[in-house]
Amino acid sequence: MSAYLLNRVGQALFVLWAAFTISFVLLQAMPGDAILIKFQNPDLGLTAQQVAEIRASYAADSPILVQYVQTIGKFLTGDFGYSVQAGVPVNSLLAAHLPATLKLATLGFLLASVLAILIAFLSSLTPFTWLRGVLQSVPSLFISIPTFWLGIMLIQIFSFRLKLVPVINPGPWQELILPVFALAVPISAPLAQVLVRNIDDVLTRPFVGVARAKGANRHWILWRHVAKNALLPTLTIAGVLFGELIAGAVVTETVFGLNGIGGLTERAVGSQDAAVLQAIVVLSALAFVIINLVVDLLYPVLDPRLRTKVGVAA
Amino acid sequence: MTTKLKRLALTLATLAATGLTHVGAHAEGTEPVKGGTLIYLEQQAHTNLYPPAGGFYPNGGILNQITDKLTYQNPKTLEIEPWIAESWTVNADATEYTFKIRPGVTFSDGTPLDAAAVAKNYDVFGLGNKALKHPVSEVINNYERSEVIDPLTVKFYFKRPSPGFLQGTSVIGSGLVAASTLALPFEELGDATKIIGSGPFVVESETIGKELNLKAREEYVWGPAKLEHQGRAYLDGITYIITGEDSVRIGALLAGQADFIRQVQAYDESQVEAQDYQIYAPSTRGVNNSVVFRPDNPLVADIKVRQALLHATDAKEIVTTLFSANYPQATSIIASSALGYKDISAKLAFDPEKAKALLDEAGWSVGSNGLRQKDGKELVLTAYESLPQPQNKETLQLVAQQWGKVGVKLNVLAGDSGSRTVDDLDPLKTPVSPAMVGRADPDVIKSQYYPKNRDVLRQKGGLSDKVQSFVDDKLNGLLDALASEPDRAKRLAIAGEIQDYVVDQAYAIPIFEEPQAYAGAPYVQGVAFEAVGRPSFYSTWLAEH
Repeated sequence: MSAYLLNRVGQALFVLWAAFTISFVLLQAMPGDAILIKFQNPDLGLTAQQVAEIRASYAADSPILVQYVQTIGKFLTGDFGYSVQAGVPVNSLLAAHLPATLKLATLGFLLASVLAILIAFLSSLTPFTWLRGVLQSVPSLFISIPTFWLGIMLIQIFSFRLKLVPVINPGPWQELILPVFALAVPISAPLAQVLVRNIDDVLTRPFVGVARAKGANRHWILWRHVAKNALLPTLTIAGVLFGELIAGAVVTETVFGLNGIGGLTERAVGSQDAAVLQAIVVLSALAFVIINLVVDLLYPVLDPRLRTKVGVAA
Repeated sequence: MTTKLKRLALTLATLAATGLTHVGAHAEGTEPVKGGTLIYLEQQAHTNLYPPAGGFYPNGGILNQITDKLTYQNPKTLEIEPWIAESWTVNADATEYTFKIRPGVTFSDGTPLDAAAVAKNYDVFGLGNKALKHPVSEVINNYERSEVIDPLTVKFYFKRPSPGFLQGTSVIGSGLVAASTLALPFEELGDATKIIGSGPFVVESETIGKELNLKAREEYVWGPAKLEHQGRAYLDGITYIITGEDSVRIGALLAGQADFIRQVQAYDESQVEAQDYQIYAPSTRGVNNSVVFRPDNPLVADIKVRQALLHATDAKEIVTTLFSANYPQATSIIASSALGYKDISAKLAFDPEKAKALLDEAGWSVGSNGLRQKDGKELVLTAYESLPQPQNKETLQLVAQQWGKVGVKLNVLAGDSGSRTVDDLDPLKTPVSPAMVGRADPDVIKSQYYPKNRDVLRQKGGLSDKVQSFVDDKLNGLLDALASEPDRAKRLAIAGEIQDYVVDQAYAIPIFEEPQAYAGAPYVQGVAFEAVGRPSFYSTWLAEH
C-alpha cells in the first residue's frame, strides 16, 4: 500500500511540474506580455524609453531559462510574485478569491450529484415508459443549456422579478444560491448520463437475475445490488468533471459577479498576467491531482474486490 | 453574449421593474438629506491606483472621491478654481508656478497636506521614481524641480514653458496622496486601502476584484472653495460592486438593488429612461472617437487615399444607427465642448463620389472582385477593435461597410490583448486604428499625436521601433508650440490650426464626441462630474425613497 501511495505521489509531483512547465512555455510563446499590455496602454502615455526602462526594472527581457529557474525557485518557496495588472501580490489575490470558488465548486458538485442521482434512480424506478423517456432526455437538455444564459435567466427571474434573492450585496450564503444552481445543472448532465447507462448495464447482469429469482423486488435490487456497482464508474467521471467545474466557474462567477478564481482567471487571461495565470494553473493541477488521488483511494472502499487485490499487490 | 440575448434579458428586467411604484420624484430645491450609502455598480475592477494611472475610468471613479487636487476645474466654465491651493502665480513664460496651500488640510492618516507634501507628490509625478517603478504623469510636461518656500508655499520650475500645467494640477491624475503611499513600490498600489488621500471619502475596506467600501471623512472641510456645498460629504459611504454583465447592472438598478451604475450602452438608454431613471452622459471633452491612419504603411501613405476614406465615412449613419443623442456627431478632431475647439465640419462631409474620384486619381482602380487594386496589390486594411470604447467593434464594422462601397476592404480584428498590443506598434499590421482620449485642455491634442506621447499616427522616433520613415515635422512643430505657448489666445489659435491640419492631411476621421454614460435612480441627487466625465459623489445625497 505504501509503495502504491509513493508511486501515486510521485506521479502527482510530475503532473504538477509538467503543468507548470507547459504553462510557462505557452505564456512565453504568446505575443506580448503583461508588462507590455499594462504600460503600452495609451492611458498612461509613457514614452518608448520609459516603457523600456520599466521592462528592464522587471527584468522582463532576461533569458527565458533564467526566468524559468527563478520562477520555479520562487514557487517552491511559496512566492508567486506580483500581479502586474492588479498591482498586488499574487498570494493576496489567491487568498481573496479562493474561498468563494471552493464554496461554489463544492456546493455545485454536491447539488449536481443529487440531481444526477435523482434523475437516474427515478428513471429506473418509474413504472411508466413515457416518464422514463422524459427523465432520460433531461441530461441532454441540461448539457445544452449555456451556463451564462441560465445564469442571466435565474438572475432576471428570481432576483429582479420575484425579488427572492438579491444579486447585489447578498448575504454570504444567499449569494451562492443561484450560482450553485447554474453551475450544477451542466455538471449533473454527464453524471446522470453515466449513472443511467451503468444502472441499465448492471440490471442485465446474471446476479441481478439471481436476486430477482430469489424474490427480491425492484427497489431492493436497485439499492442493494445495482447502486454500488453502478456508482463505481460514475466516481471516475466525477474526478474528471472537476475540470468542467473550474471551467463552469469562470462563466458563473463572471455572470454573478462572484469574487472567485474563475473571474480572476478571466481577467488574468485578458491581460496576460503571467504570474497570476501560472499560480492558478499550478493550483488547479494540484486540486485535480488530489481529487483524482482521493477517487482512486475510494475505489477499494466501495468495492471489496479491489480491496483484496490492492492488499495482495502490497 | 449576443446583443439579442442582452435585449431579451433586459426586457425581462423591465417587466420585473414595472411592478415598482414610482417613488422619490425629483426632489430638486429641497434640503439635501444627510446619511445613507450609495450602491455603485462598476463594470470593471480597478487596477493600479497610482494617481497618474487614474485615467482608466474604474480607477478615476475611486480616486476622485478619496483624493483632492491642487486646483479645481469648473466643469461648466472649464475655468481653474482654488481647491487645496488657495491662490497661485505663474511667471510670464509659464516656467515657474507658485502655489499657496490652504492651511489645516490633512491626509486621512493624520499627516499634514502642506507645501512639502505637495512638492513630494509633484516630484514623483513629474520625474517618476525609478527605484519604486513609479512612471511619469502624462499631464506634466517639461517638469524640472520643486522648491518649498515656506510651509504653505510651493514653487515648481520647468525646463521649458508649460502652459498646460495649471490645468494639469486639476486632473484626476494629479490627486495628492500621503508620503506613506508614495513610499510604496508601484506593484503594491493596486491595493486601495494603501491609497491615503485627503478627499471627502476614505477607503474603509476592500475585497479585491469585488467590492470596495468608502466612508465619509467627518473632518473634511476643504472642498473646492467655490462649490456651494462645504463641509463633509452628505453620504455616509459608497459601496462599489464589480458587476461585469451589462444586463445585470441595469436590471439591478431598475429592480432597486443599486443606486448608480457606470457604462450604459446606447441601446439600453431608452429602457432606463422609460422607468424615470436618469441617464448621465457627461462629455469627455477631449479628442473625439476617431479612426486614425498610420501613414508609414504604404497603403495609406498617399494623402489622396486617406482623404478618399475620410469622405467615404458616413459619421451620421454611425451615430444614428448605433448610438443616441448623447453621442453627438463629430465636427472636429476634438469635442465641441473642448477648449480650443474649431468647427471644421465642412471638411468632414460624407461624399462617396468624391471618394471614388480621389481613389481613381491615386491610381487605385476597381478590380474584377470589386476591390480597388494598384500594381497588383489590393486596398485591404486592418484595424483592431478597442475594448474600452463604446460599441467599437460595431462602429468599425459599419465603417468597413461604408468603405466597401468605394472598393476598400477593412478587416476588423478582435484578437487577444497581447497580439493587439504588439501589432498595434507595427503600421504594416495596423494601418488603421480606433482612437480617443479625454482631457479638458488643448494639451490633449498633443498627448494624442505627439510621437513622444501616445503617438497615434506612429511616427519614426516615437513609441514604436517598427516605423520605417514616417515623420511629420510640421505637425510636431505645431504640437510643440501648443504645449509651450504661454499666451492663452495664441495657444487656442494654434489648437485651431492643428485641427485644420490633421483633417487636411486626413490623418484622422473623427466620428462622434464620446460621453461616459451612467444611470442613476430618481432619488439620487447632486451627482457631479469632473471635466472629463468621472463622477464626484462629494455633494451627492439620497432623497427619501
